[in-house]
Amino acid sequence: MKILVPLKRVADPDNANKIKVNGGKIDTTGLEWKLNPFDEYAVETALRLTENGANTKARLGEVVVVTLGPKETETTLRSALATGADRAIRIDAGDDAIDGDTVAHALAALIKKENFDLILLGKQAVDGDSNQVPQLLAEYLGWPQATFAATIKSEADKALVVGREVDGGTLNVRVQLPAVVSVDLRIVAPKSVTSVHTAPTHNYADGVRFAALMQIMAAKKKPLVEVKLADLGVTAAPKIEYVGFELPPARKAGVKVANVADLVGKLRNEAKAL
Amino acid sequence: MTKPIQAINRYKADLREMNFLLFEQFKIGNLLGKGAFEAWGEDEVKSTLSSCYRFVKEVLGPLNVVGDQEGCKIVDGRVVAPTGFKEAWKQLYEMGFRTIATDPEYGGAGAPHSVQVLVEELCSGANTAFNMYPGLAFGAAEVIEYFGTPEQKKTYVERMYNGTWGGTMCLTESQAGSDVGSAKTTAVRNEDGTYSIRGTKIYISGGDHNLSFGDNTIHLVLARIDGAPAGTKGLTLFVVPRMRFDENGVNTGSNDVHVTALEHKMGINGSATCVVNFGDDNGCIGYPVGGESELNKGMPQMFKMMNGARIAVGIQGVSVASAAYLNALDYAKDRKQGSSMAHWKDATAPRVSIIEHADVRRMLLDMKARVEGIRALAVKLSNHQDLAKALAGQDDALAAYHQGQVDLLVPLAKSYGSDQAFRVCETAIQTYGGAGYTRDYPVEQYCRDSKIFSIYEGTNHIQAMDLVGRKLGQAGGANLQAFLGDVAKFIAANKDHEVLGADLKRLASAQEAVGGSAMRLLMWFQTGNVTMVPLNANRFLEMMSEVAVGWLLLDGAAIAAAALKELPAGHADASFYQGKIAAAQFYARNVLPGVEAKAALMGNEDKSAVDLSVEAFATV
Repeated sequence: MKILVPLKRVADPDNANKIKVNGGKIDTTGLEWKLNPFDEYAVETALRLTENGANTKARLGEVVVVTLGPKETETTLRSALATGADRAIRIDAGDDAIDGDTVAHALAALIKKENFDLILLGKQAVDGDSNQVPQLLAEYLGWPQATFAATIKSEADKALVVGREVDGGTLNVRVQLPAVVSVDLRIVAPKSVTSVHTAPTHNYADGVRFAALMQIMAAKKKPLVEVKLADLGVTAAPKIEYVGFELPPARKAGVKVANVADLVGKLRNEAKAL
Repeated sequence: MTKPIQAINRYKADLREMNFLLFEQFKIGNLLGKGAFEAWGEDEVKSTLSSCYRFVKEVLGPLNVVGDQEGCKIVDGRVVAPTGFKEAWKQLYEMGFRTIATDPEYGGAGAPHSVQVLVEELCSGANTAFNMYPGLAFGAAEVIEYFGTPEQKKTYVERMYNGTWGGTMCLTESQAGSDVGSAKTTAVRNEDGTYSIRGTKIYISGGDHNLSFGDNTIHLVLARIDGAPAGTKGLTLFVVPRMRFDENGVNTGSNDVHVTALEHKMGINGSATCVVNFGDDNGCIGYPVGGESELNKGMPQMFKMMNGARIAVGIQGVSVASAAYLNALDYAKDRKQGSSMAHWKDATAPRVSIIEHADVRRMLLDMKARVEGIRALAVKLSNHQDLAKALAGQDDALAAYHQGQVDLLVPLAKSYGSDQAFRVCETAIQTYGGAGYTRDYPVEQYCRDSKIFSIYEGTNHIQAMDLVGRKLGQAGGANLQAFLGDVAKFIAANKDHEVLGADLKRLASAQEAVGGSAMRLLMWFQTGNVTMVPLNANRFLEMMSEVAVGWLLLDGAAIAAAALKELPAGHADASFYQGKIAAAQFYARNVLPGVEAKAALMGNEDKSAVDLSVEAFATV
């Protein structure tokens, strides 16, 4: 199976307190970047689908990672190569020139040039939380889609059974490949991904695999090519205009109430919650 | 009912600080991508540190308290390490971090030492006791890599580097601690050229365990061959496997090596400290390291490799001190107690986080300065190692300068790093107050774990005597002169610094005091007043360390000040750089002036401790 995993770098959520708003824009200078966690799960899922879990050294498929962004985003691509992806593509673009729609157009154009069996994405990026690219991409490609995957089982007849996170449980759908699948966080549980290559009894470690030292060193030698946005024939201007950003208001200090009657009174008269 | 042990991670590290040291202060970028470090670039270094940090938080960190509370035990004559250690060993070796700086010939990644020490800090900080086992296997393998016969290298080195076998250093005996030359373990030559080893070694870390893939441990044992001279000159270093094995390294039977007891210790409880008996049934075979030509050279062999082990202990100090500081900082931000000084008369004033209190701030900045100072010293030292390696064969004089600085700074990194670690841990407990004294928080364990650092691998007094007795005079005093010269150059280049100028004057005074005190030590040697030397060796080591740390902190602060000027307003790094400057200033103002005071104390030539009769110490 040949899988494309689109990636996005996001400001390190652990350092969210450093984010500054500057003139209606988020000031990105000096921010530490990290691979979007849901995209990490997508890479992990793609690796599990293209290997035998009992012997992960032999690759039994191909995982290609792609991102849109300036030169520095190659660090993000290398970090995915270091966990085991086979090669990488960077579509050169400035951060201001793209929104979810241009990303979906660019990916669709790239995918039309090269055959992939499966496009695996994180369900959303943890910065903008837009949750748009997977759905737009499936539409532009005219491919089936299954979003918010909590489980994936690959079948020999080039189909996937995807357990989608829905309210109150999971909804199993079968999609014929090629398809677009976006993943949710439970996809990295020990038995969430069932590949034809791995014994059903195999248990993966919970979560995303570590980047071993030798893999980090090998990542440098894996192919990473650059493609220009214009070469993909993408001319669409961003459709989303960001009007302004502001930080959430600081939480106000609470008050202590003397007794239950006081609490009920405040809930009724001040909070108007009762 | 006993509470179950909760395996949760408390370790944290500041990767921004680590990257600052590597790339901004010591500029290892100049070394990367060429020569010995061809395979390494900035991306690889940063990815390695962040991957390692994630690994230690998720795998080693949660086992730190487990190892502390569970400890090790002997079951059927074998040492059983704490729950989870075996799986952690497997994962550590799968990750490859243990051999990050090792020669690729032995499966290593050939990274700079400066990166290795920080990887070591992460592993050791997350779980000091666990990290002892792979650390000792590594150290023993290095000895064989350096001194072994070609066959010994082929047999042992890679297997000890990759986790197949564990390893130990067996020096100490009950009557031979710091006085290694009193070792009584014997070696008798057999007809086939092997030696029969017999004796008992104590305090052997990792003397046995159930962690290694091949379930074998390779001991390096100091023993005396029949008829060899007394003292250290008659000691030979032997390779002594716990189990005999075939050509594929598969165990074939006992080599008559047995752990008979475990020590019950103050800290590092997850690390098995063993009494190891060799040859109780006359069935223990050993092989001299390097073969027949290397008999009676055990001590020089050990000394050659001790640099690495001593640096590693200094790093243990940095790692635990840093973890203690960062935990105390978290607590101080969170814990509310008392009101602001501005409202001290108002009983109803809002409660504030204790980090708002001046004395808590003082403790926090004191810890920050010391932690960052000893880390900078360790990275500076390893940077000298890397430069010596990179310049060898190209500029031998410069390479020799760097190697000279390594030799000179090793006792400082080991002793000052370990002494400060214990003090930082103590301050961390004080910052917590009563909570820090309980097992609900990690700092009491850090404090207990860190005490051993000033004792093992040569006590800190042994280090101080090494410094004043050997290192100061090494290369005709050129290494010391070069060190003082490096500090002087920095002072000359920055003496009018707009932010740090006044603090550089303090550094200059301290540097002069160290130079003068070195002359005083020399005078004591020359005038036969040698009793003064051990009485003041520790003090001198501390003075010289404080100058080194003050210099490196101020150097970092100068770089931070320049970077801060270039930053756009509101940049996320601004507070980081401000912190670097503040830590250096705090150290320069609160620690460096003490160097001159200590020099004055040396000048008093106080001998009361040795003049006093033994009976006069107490009446009991």
